[in-house]
Amino acid sequence: MTSTPTKPQPRARRLLATALRHPAVVPLGAVVLALLIGAVIIAAAGLDPLTAYAAVLEGSLDPRQLDYTFSVWGFICGMALAAAIPLRMGEFNLGGNGQMVLGGLTAAWVALNVPLPGILLVPLAVLAAAIVAGGFGALSAPLATRFGIPIIISTLLLSPIAVAVVSYLLRFQIGEAGSAVAQTPRLPEQGRMWALGDLSYSNTGLLVIIAMMVAFYVVDSRSAVGFELRVVGANRRFGAYGGVRVGRLAFGAMAAAGAAAGIVGAIIVMSSPYRLIDGALISPGYTFAGLAAALLAGGRPALIPVTAILFTILQVGGASMERSADVPRQLSDVLQGVVIVVLALRTVLDQRRTERSSA
Amino acid sequence: MTPPLAAAVTGESPAPAVELVGIGKRFGAVVANDGVDLVLRRGSVHAVMGENGAGKSTLMSMLFGLLKPDSGEIHVDGVPVQFDGPLDAIAAGLGMVHQHFRLFDSMTVADNVVYGAEPTRAGLIDRRAAAARVRELSERYGLETEPTAVVGSLSAGARQRVEILKALHRDARILILDEPTAVLTPSEVTSLFTVIRRAADAGTTVVLVTHKIHEVLAVSDEVTVLRDGRVTGRFATSEATSASLVHAMTGREIDEVRNPGTGTTGAVALEVDHVTVGDPRTPAVHDVSLTVHRGEIVGVAGVSGNGQHELVAAVLGTVQAASGRIRLLGEEVGGRSVRDRRAAGLAVIPEDRRGEGTAVTLSVAENVTLGHHRTAPIGASKGLRRGWMSIRAELARARELIADYDVRTSGEQQPIGALSGGNAQKVVIARELSHGAPVLIAEQPTQGVDVGAIESIHQRLLDYRAGGGAVLLVSHEISELLALADRIVVMYSGRVVAEFSAAEATTARIGAAMAGAAEAAAAPEAAPDTAPAPADTPAPEPETDRTP
Repeated sequence: MTSTPTKPQPRARRLLATALRHPAVVPLGAVVLALLIGAVIIAAAGLDPLTAYAAVLEGSLDPRQLDYTFSVWGFICGMALAAAIPLRMGEFNLGGNGQMVLGGLTAAWVALNVPLPGILLVPLAVLAAAIVAGGFGALSAPLATRFGIPIIISTLLLSPIAVAVVSYLLRFQIGEAGSAVAQTPRLPEQGRMWALGDLSYSNTGLLVIIAMMVAFYVVDSRSAVGFELRVVGANRRFGAYGGVRVGRLAFGAMAAAGAAAGIVGAIIVMSSPYRLIDGALISPGYTFAGLAAALLAGGRPALIPVTAILFTILQVGGASMERSADVPRQLSDVLQGVVIVVLALRTVLDQRRTERSSA
Repeated sequence: MTPPLAAAVTGESPAPAVELVGIGKRFGAVVANDGVDLVLRRGSVHAVMGENGAGKSTLMSMLFGLLKPDSGEIHVDGVPVQFDGPLDAIAAGLGMVHQHFRLFDSMTVADNVVYGAEPTRAGLIDRRAAAARVRELSERYGLETEPTAVVGSLSAGARQRVEILKALHRDARILILDEPTAVLTPSEVTSLFTVIRRAADAGTTVVLVTHKIHEVLAVSDEVTVLRDGRVTGRFATSEATSASLVHAMTGREIDEVRNPGTGTTGAVALEVDHVTVGDPRTPAVHDVSLTVHRGEIVGVAGVSGNGQHELVAAVLGTVQAASGRIRLLGEEVGGRSVRDRRAAGLAVIPEDRRGEGTAVTLSVAENVTLGHHRTAPIGASKGLRRGWMSIRAELARARELIADYDVRTSGEQQPIGALSGGNAQKVVIARELSHGAPVLIAEQPTQGVDVGAIESIHQRLLDYRAGGGAVLLVSHEISELLALADRIVVMYSGRVVAEFSAAEATTARIGAAMAGAAEAAAAPEAAPDTAPAPADTPAPEPETDRTP
């Protein structure tokens, strides 16, 4: 009785235990849990969850809609970049809205006021948007290093200021005179994003965003700066001890994040209906969806396009769910929220596990 | 599963207090324990020895219910038990004092001791009863403490006593002490051993997990030695010798490395000139000056928390000195960034391996690369490839260093957090030594490292010195300083209070200076006002003078 060297631990159980520790389990679990909670909410409202989810899928993956779905995917990917770059070093950029709106404003102003041919004007407008929004994002870095205001706080608080200023400018300064809506005049022909074939929603802006994602992937995995981002994200003190200039790195990461958000804003403004309309950049919720996608991907560049698909489906399909299944589209926001809460929970549990294992 | 009544303890019970039979545990591909048998006789002090990664901590974690064994059985008082967590183990009469204390710093000693098992009156915590209980326990076992003191203000030794009291308060009959002396001064170690003996004489079974041979010989009754997860030796301490224990731990005899002392030192490489760190009213480092020459090892002795770490941080640049100058190879570096100072020729092996020396979630390769990622062969400092890294070169270099430093890992892509402490330390040392920097600061370079690895680390430090490197060696181990250093300075309360040449240095003199006793003869630099209050307390605890 005393010698039972190999207690028959079922192989299947051990395999299962190993599988459960796979890094993909928690994110997938978060999604499944979110869908289940969503189903409960829908059922509680007396509607059929299956019909609702089917409507989401149909609406977003309908071949006639794919053009639109892809353009939304691009915007969510772009805003996911704005969250993921600082996330890589452990910082949260919650100021995507302000950065995006400033980028949109800059692009609109350049397109309206600079007399250049389209071949120059379009890149110039995008570049200017990146610079202004990047500068605005980077503002949070010295606030953190010099004055000790956490980036998560300063981005969150600065964002509404930028949104409000742009809104004011649209209403009272640069808005189209005589229009009932606060908006700029239509951008001239040469100030619009180049079309991709005869697609009506996706345009070259989508290619710009894909290029940004590729660039992030390459920088993250192959460059010294990318390495330093990951090191600081894993252990800030280790980075500082090893000679990483954390303040400068934060400045660069926030500038890049702001630039990404600004470029998204520029692309939206320079696409149909070719104006900056008050509130139109913010209301689709690309910032929050992008943040959720970045968190779900754990900031990993290669996973962002994948996780963005999920939130694109929710976003695009939400509208058709509202139409055909009578479920309000706000349910999409609820699902995003649940995913984020579960992921945040993981961080807490991970911490506890590390504490235990360091015994 | 119900533990027998405490009264049974005094009677001659045939069953040992604890019996582990054929315990096995794997973590993925790593076998941590393999068929380990361990018998703890009631009322004995049983030492569990082994190098780092030998499986001591894993074994104790299973005994205390923190981990579940894959195979084997645990018997307490002859009854087979299965622990689903530490609470089960505590209920069965076990208590554990962890290497890293688990106390609430902002609460009092009494609150910490009774936490989770509070005496109550009318549903409220009875603080007076708690304090009385703490006094009673501390008298019975000779564990000096002040029940109303706030834990955050106590020295490491005093905190450890609180941890022991915590276990005793819950009527632990089997007390596990995991590397208890790592944070103690020599005099605190002595009083801990007295407590251990007293507890054993009172019928408590004590398990002492350690890798320090002299401790085993000094205090234990029996020894079980582990190597690579298996038992490689069982001794009655009276029959064990240092040589037999080392042989069981390492499978070979150790030749102790010593500084040959052929003192031909070169130019000054590191100069710390009247440096003060921290708030000028209560500075962590107070007006410290010292120099290290090329080809010289200067030891910094001192009980942990007397300013050594802050001094190192100020030299590295992670903390700015409040005043004073720091020169590296004659160049003033105060106010410059860490990167600049490292580029000027500084490498640092830090004390806090998990918090500062590594990023546990990153791979061994990434950990060994930081600081080398902008220079050849991984990166490039100029040209088109500037700012880019070659992953292939990174992995190749990591594999080379893993082989060179004998790091036990399943591969260079394994997260460093999965390695044992000693192996992780080898990675840190490999990274810092491979800079080939003229100045090396080694802070506790062998902390938590096993005997075999200690020897090779010491040899590497001596080789570094022989190659013209200047080494500042901060250590709490007097024997380490005596073996390696050409000169030893002693820090106490943020000041340098004594300096000894290798010839003058003895354990007694250094120990006295570490405890704050002014040794005027050997410490001409120590001004009278630096001398601390006379040691009228039985156990001198330098840190207690921070008590508000």
